[in-house]
Amino acid sequence: MESLEPPDDELVRRTQAGDARAFDELVVRFSPRLYGLVYHMTSSHEDTNDLLQDIFSKAYRSIKGFQGKSSFYTWMHTIAVNMAINFLKKRNRRKTMSLDDVDNGILNDPDFIEATSNGDPSREANLSELQKKLNESMLKLSHDHRAVVTMFDIQGMPHAEISKVLKISEGTVRSRLFYAHRQLQNYLQEFINK
Amino acid sequence: MDNEDSITKLLRLKRYEQPSEEYFENFLAEFQARQRAEVIHRPLLHIAWDRVCSMFVMPPVPKLVMVSSFAAAVFAAVFVMNWADDDTPSNLTLASSGAVQRDSTARPANGKNGSAVQYVLPARPVSYASARSF
Repeated sequence: MESLEPPDDELVRRTQAGDARAFDELVVRFSPRLYGLVYHMTSSHEDTNDLLQDIFSKAYRSIKGFQGKSSFYTWMHTIAVNMAINFLKKRNRRKTMSLDDVDNGILNDPDFIEATSNGDPSREANLSELQKKLNESMLKLSHDHRAVVTMFDIQGMPHAEISKVLKISEGTVRSRLFYAHRQLQNYLQEFINK
Repeated sequence: MDNEDSITKLLRLKRYEQPSEEYFENFLAEFQARQRAEVIHRPLLHIAWDRVCSMFVMPPVPKLVMVSSFAAAVFAAVFVMNWADDDTPSNLTLASSGAVQRDSTARPANGKNGSAVQYVLPARPVSYASARSF
């Protein structure tokens, strides 16, 4: 059965022609994914909400200049990453973490079970501990490393796509990932050795 | 390599940190409200500018072309203004030459000290004299 949803390109063309509803559809389509991207870079739901609004506002204002040289997906991700990095630079070193919004599905994830199997019998306690540690570790990475880790490890984007979004070579993406993983290994040692 | 895989597995668990579906339903409404508020609170000049821009909507033009067109327009405007200026002095010359003629035929009048008042304009206007000359 074919999907009835119009492709991104068509929605972009309609938005450029002045159809605001087409852009609404793009917002619905991209907000969950971009939310994840921004949230994992800022570690704050409040900041993510504000920033995501700004990202879509900027995209709406700039969409007439979008010429389709890259995919709309890449274009949106580039705006989001750049704005998130600028925001983080302004926010300086204020560290915020949101620890109350975890999907319960994590409790059944085999990787979570594996990571916490030898610890406290109460998985809820382990979940909180693990999440706190993961967030702390992410915040210790530089903005550039955090962006790469978020896109590759958490969002599952391929190296080639990340290189387009960040406008860097694939080699640089791999090298940033290597150094970021090495740092994270030190911070998350207790969960890795279980 | 095992450690690398473990890190990746741990980081993937962060995908579960996400708001509820309800949040995303409300997000669009919040975005639309914010867009409307931006339009309402926007300075009138910005709105007018946007309307002017939308009247001349055209395919994306390279910046170089836009800059050179603007420069050409400015050059043309300056040229037209200079041309108009060049026309004006010739009329003035005629008028002033007439005035000079009239002055030269006028009867010389006597000043308070009895010396004849001269109506002949100096060849070089005072404003042309250097401010530092004494």
